[in-house]
Formats: sequence, structure tokens, C-alpha cells
Amino acid sequence: MRFLLFFITTVFLFGIDATLQIEKDVEDRTHIAIVDASAVHDNKVYDILKADLKISGHFLVNENLFREGFDMPIVSPELKNQEYVLKYKYDNSINAKLIIKLLKADNSKEVFKKSYAISNKFKTPFLIHKAIYDINGFLRYPDIGWINRYVIFSRYTTPRHSEIVIADYTFNYKKVVIRGGLNLFPKWADRKQSSFYYTSFNGLYPTLYKLNIYTGAKSKVISSEGMLVCSDVSLHVPKILVTMAMDGQPDIYEVNTQTKVKKRVTRFKGIDVNGKYVDNEKSVVFVSNRLGYANIFKKSLTGNAITQLVYHGKNNNSVDSYKNDIIYSSRESSNAFGTNNFNIYLSDSEGSKTRAITTTGSNQFPRFNSNGSVVQYIKYKNNHSYIGYSNIKSHKSLLFKLGVKKIQAIDW
Amino acid sequence: MKYIKSLTLGVCSVVMIGCSQVAPDIPSNGGSNVSDANALNSQTVTIDENDINSANGISNNSLNSLNNRYNSSANGFNSLYFAFGSYNISDDMQQVLIHDIQIAKQTRGKIKIEGNCDEFGTDEYNYALGLKRAKALKDSMVMQGVNPSRIVMISYGESNPVCKDMSDECYQRNRRVDLRLVR
Repeated sequence: MRFLLFFITTVFLFGIDATLQIEKDVEDRTHIAIVDASAVHDNKVYDILKADLKISGHFLVNENLFREGFDMPIVSPELKNQEYVLKYKYDNSINAKLIIKLLKADNSKEVFKKSYAISNKFKTPFLIHKAIYDINGFLRYPDIGWINRYVIFSRYTTPRHSEIVIADYTFNYKKVVIRGGLNLFPKWADRKQSSFYYTSFNGLYPTLYKLNIYTGAKSKVISSEGMLVCSDVSLHVPKILVTMAMDGQPDIYEVNTQTKVKKRVTRFKGIDVNGKYVDNEKSVVFVSNRLGYANIFKKSLTGNAITQLVYHGKNNNSVDSYKNDIIYSSRESSNAFGTNNFNIYLSDSEGSKTRAITTTGSNQFPRFNSNGSVVQYIKYKNNHSYIGYSNIKSHKSLLFKLGVKKIQAIDW
Repeated sequence: MKYIKSLTLGVCSVVMIGCSQVAPDIPSNGGSNVSDANALNSQTVTIDENDINSANGISNNSLNSLNNRYNSSANGFNSLYFAFGSYNISDDMQQVLIHDIQIAKQTRGKIKIEGNCDEFGTDEYNYALGLKRAKALKDSMVMQGVNPSRIVMISYGESNPVCKDMSDECYQRNRRVDLRLVR
């Protein structure tokens, strides 16, 4: 009986001790080394390869850079302690070309080889993401298709002027898709990322448009006095959640993008914003100041009852959702005139299982990736801004430095 | 007791084995050597909206009047300033409010009320805060007899700062509502 009690206690402790869980996850990841066989080493290419492998959560990457010929038949003895060796050759003299092969470290056996080419050299980061996506898929690890996706964001340029930019997740590729005027709050309109919604502040009333990034086709969706933001897009029906102010009062509405029929979801004399679908799109989580400060609440799309989801923080002013998981930013200091600590928390639509994703600095704009496995955020640290990523399961985090222009809104 | 011991060890072993992640078997033929990046070649557009502001019919009068160094309103109106995170018109601003109501009654045409915020906020919430500031002013003006159909509101959130210094005074100047006539 003592053995049984000991076993039950041990299993229970295992279940709740996150530290032990992290250590186990690290041990489970595949050890891999990267070998550059290019004629000229390109740090950026190497860094992106390494970042892709790390943020996947499936690889433990050797931090040293190795260089040797692409066709060397035998894996170098110093790499024998790895499970795999990723050898690559990159050349951008005419087009961008990337050849990769994956070798078993113990017997030098080539198990995967593929070449990639693209005429637009600036899109090289996407070539690299595709290569790592293919290797990950070949090894039958859980899907990381999200590394191939565009990030879209708006940034301020000068007062009342902004740009909307598409980028790869590392921000090594960036392209302005709308410049001039004040155009904000970009939000992908479809899973394929062919179109996005954004709000133009260039007329008398804020107006929501939908723009196709390949054809330039642009259509007006709706306009509203005061403010208008597309916060979420239904995965199942042609509906979107918007914050708008039909009577000057910022509330959340659900809009049918085909019929333009609007349904008011919240009705509050203060501020309700940032609606996100949860519970199979039967409810929304949102930010409201109904307790006197910004905090996270939930409401059914059909009922009237409103539930407070978060019970900590001094100002929880941004939220995102994936299925029934939510992430939100929480201000944990009260400095009205300077740097505050903002951290990102993961919870669910019942407000349980809450845990911190970040623990230091100012971390805002939390966004889930397309399968809910990675959280994106903007970190401000020592007068610099970074785009941050944290893999929820592996706890692996990455930061990429951003430019000086201030990010206004972001979607992934 | 021996039975319980064996059972315990057995279950422990099953649990531990179940937790470990086995590397997948690698097929001997590997992958093919093909070019697979055609889908990435699709070119995206760039839209230039630089010409829009000059064509939208909004008055572009100087933001700073000669009489008031910190006034960023136009057409005789004065800007109202707000406390951190607040959208209540403070007692300090009552004289400015009375002045703006007088100007509104002396003029014709639409009045645009622009809500603004400091940089300490993110995303949608800051735009809603700017709008609530604009609405506080609109409600006060309407209560004093200004026709509500003459008033349009817009929030510029933190997008329209009048200064960028890292000082309390600068942050204060950005937490404001501006007024101007729509031409």
C-alpha cells in the first residue's frame, strides 16, 4: 500500500510541477547541427534557419556554426553526438537558391534533400521557412505551417500617417502594402491571407476596407463615426467582430460582411473593445472598463450575462483567442508617466489554468499563431522594440529586433 | 503486497514509456530533389494613399494659434486636456468648454471633434479612450444647445501627438480633444 501511495503522490507531483515538465521537453527535442556549405556565408540565412528550428519546439539546435563542403560524404566526427545534421548551400548571385539535405549524424546517411529557388531575393526568408517546414514534416513532427505565414502590421510614420506592412514572422522580409494617410488595425480576412481588413481614418468617418494583397482590389465594408476596428474574423461564416460607435459609444458588434447586417453584442456606457470569438464562436471575450479599469470579460453572443475572466493586474487592455484559449497583456505596475511592466498571460475562456508567458519588461500586443501553439508579442526593452515569440508547449522564446517606428497593431 | 509492488512498478513503467518521444523511422529513399518555391513568387501590391488627405474636405488650418502656444485646435476653438486614463472634463477645463460652446454657436457648418491620447496605451483601447473624450465634449456642447447634427467625432488614439518628448508636460498635451470646422 505504501508503494501505491508513493506512486500516486509522485505522479501527482509530476503533473503539477511545470519545471520538471520543461526539463522533460528539452530532453525530448531532436539534437541537430547546422552546417553551411555556401561559397559565402550569410549570417542572416543562418540565423533564420536556426530560429525556425528553435521556435518549432521540436529541435535542440547546436549553437556553433559549422562549415564544410556540401558533398562531403562523411559527417564530421565533432557532430557525431547530434541526431541529425542539416547541411545547406545558399546562393543569391542571380536568383535566391537554397539546397538543403538532412543527414543522420551517426552513419552519415542522407535522408532528405530538396532545392528551392525564387526570383525575388527579398523573399529568401520564406524559402528558408519552407525548407524547415519540409524537414519538420518529413520527420513527422506536429505541423509548423505557421512559419510560412505573413505577419501584417501597421506602424506610425509621422503624426496621423502610417504604413501597413506585411512581413515574415522574423521581420527579415518586410514590404509596405499601404503607404500614406492614416490606415490602421490590419486584420487578415481569410485563412489563405490573400486579403485583409483595415480601417482608413482618411475621411470624415473611419471606414473599414478589405484589400486583396495580390490584385489590389479594394472594397468598402462599413463605416462608423468615432472609431471602427475589425477585431476578429469568423472561421465558419462571413461575419466579423468589430468595435464601432454608432452613437458615439464604443461597443462590440458582429457584422455580416455579405448582408452588412449589424448585431450589437455589448451595450455599455463606458468602453467595450477588442472582441474575440471563443467557445466555437458562441461567445466573445473582450476588454472593458466596466470595473473602472481595463479588464477581460466574456459574454455569450445570444445571452446578456457577462463574466469577468481575469482577477489580477492593474490594466488588462488587450486580448486574443484561439479556440478556447485566451492570451492577454496585463500591466503590473502603476507608473503613469514612464515605463510599466506588462506581461502576457495564457488562460482559457473559463478564466482557469492561467500562467505567465512573459515575466519581465513591457510585453504587449499578444497574438496566437494559426494553430494556437505559439504566442507573438511586442517587447519594449531599453528603448528598443522587439517582436517576440513563445512556444507554449516547449517554452522556447525568440526575440527579433524591430525598427524605430512604433507598431500600432499586428495580426498573424 | 508483492502483487501491489508489481502492479505499481508496471504502471510506472507504462507511464514513463508513454511519456517519452520516439524518433520517427526514416524511409530509406529520402526526399526528392525538386524546386518547390513557385507559390512564393506571387507578387503583392503597394497602395499609395498620400493624395487622400488633400481631397477629403477637412480644414488644414495651423494647429497652433498665436494666442495659445499649446492649442492644437483651429477656427477659434481651444483644445481641452484630460488626466491620465480619464475621459471626464475636469473643473480646470470648464472655461475652455464655455469658450468652445460660444465659438460653436457663432459659427456654421460641421464641427469635427478629435479625441487624442498619450502613448501609454495599446491597440483598440486607446482609440476608444480618445473617442470617449470626444464624446464627453460633444455631450456637453449638445446640453448647452449646440445642434448635435453639426458635430462629428473621430478618435485618433495615440496617432496624432503634438509633441514627442518624454516628459509629463508632453504626455499631458497629447491627452486632449481638438476641435475644427469641416470645410
